Amino acid sequence: MADIALARAPETARQVRQARMLSVGARCALPVAVLLGIGFLAPMVAILAYSFATPRSFDVFRSFTLENFASIFDPTNTVWLSFAWSVGFALFTVAILAVIAYPIAYGLNAVFGRWAGFISVLFVFPLFVSENVRLYGWVLFFIKNGVLDGTLKWLGLPGGPEVLYTPGVTLFGMAYTYLPFMLFPMTLGLALVPRDLVDAARDLGAGRLFIWREIELPLAMPGILIGMLLTFVLAIGATAEAKILGGQSIIVISHDIEIAFTYSQNWPLGSALAVVVSVFIAALTLTALSKLDLDRMLGRR
Amino acid sequence: MLQTLPAASTAVEAPRLPILQLVGVRKMFGGFAAVEGIDLDVREGEFLTIVGPSGSGKTTLLRMLAGMDTPSEGNITLRGELINDVPPNKRPTCLVFQSLALFPHKSVGENIAFALKVKGADAATRKKRALELMRIVRLPDNYHDKNVMKCSGGERQRVALARAFAYDPEVLFFDEPLSALDYKLKKALEKELKDLHRETGKTFIYITHSLEEAMVMSDRIGVMRAGRLVQVGTPEEIYGAPVDRFVSEFVGEVNTLKMKRVGQQWQGVDVPGTFTLGSPQNGAVLDEAFVVIRPEYMRFLAAGERADNQLKGTVYNEYSLGSRIQYQVRVGSKDAGEKVMLVELSRARALPPGASREVTIGWDAADAFTLGS
Amino acid sequence: MAGISRRSMLQGMAAGAGALAAGPLLGTGSAFAAREKELNILCWEGYNSAQVLDPFREKTGATVKAESLTNDPTMINRLRAGETNTWDLINVNNPWARKVMLPEKLIKPLPKAEFEPFFAQMLPEFKWPYKWAMSEDGADLLGMVQRFGPYSFVVNTDKVSRKTAEETGWDLFNDPALAGKYGILESDDWNVFNIFIVAGIDPFKVHTPDELAKFEETAKRVFKGAKLIGDIASMNQALISGEIDLHLTGGTYSVSPARADGHPNLRAITPLKGPLAGGKGGISWIEVTSTVNNPNLSPLALEFLKYVQAPEVAHTVAFAEGTFNPVAQMGNKACFDLFTKEELDAIQWDSLEEEMARSVEYDIVPDYDKALDIMNAAKRLRG
Repeated sequence: MADIALARAPETARQVRQARMLSVGARCALPVAVLLGIGFLAPMVAILAYSFATPRSFDVFRSFTLENFASIFDPTNTVWLSFAWSVGFALFTVAILAVIAYPIAYGLNAVFGRWAGFISVLFVFPLFVSENVRLYGWVLFFIKNGVLDGTLKWLGLPGGPEVLYTPGVTLFGMAYTYLPFMLFPMTLGLALVPRDLVDAARDLGAGRLFIWREIELPLAMPGILIGMLLTFVLAIGATAEAKILGGQSIIVISHDIEIAFTYSQNWPLGSALAVVVSVFIAALTLTALSKLDLDRMLGRR
Repeated sequence: MLQTLPAASTAVEAPRLPILQLVGVRKMFGGFAAVEGIDLDVREGEFLTIVGPSGSGKTTLLRMLAGMDTPSEGNITLRGELINDVPPNKRPTCLVFQSLALFPHKSVGENIAFALKVKGADAATRKKRALELMRIVRLPDNYHDKNVMKCSGGERQRVALARAFAYDPEVLFFDEPLSALDYKLKKALEKELKDLHRETGKTFIYITHSLEEAMVMSDRIGVMRAGRLVQVGTPEEIYGAPVDRFVSEFVGEVNTLKMKRVGQQWQGVDVPGTFTLGSPQNGAVLDEAFVVIRPEYMRFLAAGERADNQLKGTVYNEYSLGSRIQYQVRVGSKDAGEKVMLVELSRARALPPGASREVTIGWDAADAFTLGS
Repeated sequence: MAGISRRSMLQGMAAGAGALAAGPLLGTGSAFAAREKELNILCWEGYNSAQVLDPFREKTGATVKAESLTNDPTMINRLRAGETNTWDLINVNNPWARKVMLPEKLIKPLPKAEFEPFFAQMLPEFKWPYKWAMSEDGADLLGMVQRFGPYSFVVNTDKVSRKTAEETGWDLFNDPALAGKYGILESDDWNVFNIFIVAGIDPFKVHTPDELAKFEETAKRVFKGAKLIGDIASMNQALISGEIDLHLTGGTYSVSPARADGHPNLRAITPLKGPLAGGKGGISWIEVTSTVNNPNLSPLALEFLKYVQAPEVAHTVAFAEGTFNPVAQMGNKACFDLFTKEELDAIQWDSLEEEMARSVEYDIVPDYDKALDIMNAAKRLRG
């Protein structure tokens, strides 16, 4: 050990200084590392440990069983339904948002000009209000004799459609909540498309649609895919929309996890569910990111 | 001098009819006229270069020609047809961008065949044409499937050029595509571009801030300043007969001396002395004038040698320009006025190593231009 | 040595996991600090309100923290997970103290002599020795009672009359004509009770496989037929707007804010009859507040229990923000006189006594976990 240390000992004053600077850097990083360890790693470890504990017990680290996982994958357990709903909602949310956010992102980049900043703020602003409050706002909008129904009746029309407490309105709520998370990566992605390339394609005879398909879309794809991935991951963990707007017409997977942790007081089962969902999302994300060669798409290689 | 042969003459024998005509073209951005009062006929098959310092409006002019901007006033006609509002994808013109604007997610072949894909050509046709064009721009066949971003700077230039040719445009525009390259490559590509122009017989309109580039390639040069075309002419005309001091200075490093008329004689304002001047360009009668003498028309006078004008001075610096040497000579005196004059000689006529630094420089009136202020 | 360090690490991890849920209270329960000036209360909504706590804070100069949860087992499991070091008082429904928390040593008895006199001031049914306040053997006083109420279901009497509701009882939820017109207030233990009752089964006993099969069938049908499931605010909003006509699980605790808000047509119903012990039709709850078995219990815990017995404070507790309820201290005239007519109307004082009489008291379902799993699975089939 000592020999190696000696052999690698810095020889000049400059190297000594560099070596010391590195160690200062490491020391500066220490609080963050500790914070990450406590704030991020510890809960994950606790969840993982609980998932192997005896069902309905608090025997974390004192028992080891695969029962929780076995019960999740038991064919008679209907928890897969919640999972399927969550995945379905997330996929639809992503699809809807991709269609909605693209024109807005395009506008922010190319059409709105000096209004773009202001319009961006409008999309960010709702994020400063609690999600639950915003969703309750939508309940008041859609509810019988609420804003929509009441206004239509006041205008002498038959009244609003009965959409509240349905899967459809849940999807609406999710699209509403996660719009910014799709919009901003997408806007960034579109901003990465050099104006020159679009001009060049047009100069070479290409029409709007052709340019969109051949140039804009492929080059904006990194941003679009990151937006989609982010939205999907967030949407798969969404509960508030299904609870508040959907009136629990659908039980989503994160609601099932919540039930396990609260009413059922089955922390090990909830943890196991959380682990399964996390592994699913992690696998999906890593697969997507490995397939999605950012360098190649940005033409940096 | 630098351009001994009118290049396109070998390719096009037919009379050079204007293919593009600009009449009173003006472009306003807010209250600012980026381009103003442009009248220009571009002849079929010529290589026309617009030069000017940055901000002179040459890029704006080009964007209007390519259809990416519309003129605020005036008309642009292509073969007699008004094209002011025709979008770029409907014009038989093509622009090679300064950035080249190659599609980074496409291969060399896909980039080149882009215009063909737009027209709906099938994959086999596209590949065949791409390979043909690659041969024309001297790219090896195996580059067809290479990622365009893996190509070198020079190769990318060729891809951009081939891509433009694939559109089969009647007029090609170039927006300083060579500006980012190193000197040697730039020189080689300038020559190649000139050759391609001759081989294809297309009309090329090239913009650059480098007059040197313009001189090498162009049939005609237009000089722009502050949104206006100051002078349009052959390289010889621009170099040999600049219409004003701006053009003359823009054309290259020059010696400029301010003069005033005293009776029948011209007296130096910057440096003391009496000088002999040639007639002014437009034959005007001047009271004040600038004399412009190119460094290569200056010479050192040996004892007893005479020139129309001469000045005593001290060589205080010399630069090697490769085959030539440039001397900086301080003339005049501290009290009466001092000025640095440039003298450029071929190496063969350089001052011998041990020679005195105290020299007499001179030039003949016929070798200088006299310009109004 | 290895054993000790491993053990202490495990304890640390368990405490850490508990703290995950405790969040804002992390670190407040240090066992080493002097705790004369701090008090931590784990309770149902109401006791955590500023109206109740601020006067006590002023009086004692103490730091009082209260966290409200909406489920008894959750609160108890917080203690089980090692948070007995954190909390001083726990406020849960009637059976938990004597049946679960004392046997598990999660709480400790109160000094009888100090607290017995308060029972004399309470409504007659809470007279000493009140069953749910005492240990099973009757030897120890385990907690003080205050809020209580019937909790069965709530109807909009404009749509379903009180008479029809009381007479039809739980069969309302078996009526196909009402499918899509009712909501379910999410409160899983109460939902389990109510699904059993709708199925015609007494919830508070061990169930046969047949009964559980009936429970499952009923759960699927009742959840499928619900227009929405949600919290109290959602239920009241849906009732007021006309989205639903009635909702399963609910009582004065849930509907009183809406009644006080000018909707006397919304009413907690206790059916006249049902499958519960003695043919009773409803279930009632009585909160018991106990001192946690904290090794370093704050002396303010006992003081707080006495503080809430005072007529003014008891009235404030009854009308704390969020939920309005009758309190046992209304047996004291000084306390009762503080209630206005509107307040009495909000808590349905007119029928409180008879409704309590028609109800059995909240109890523990022996096979609750099994029933809950069945019910949770049934919920998923809604979509």
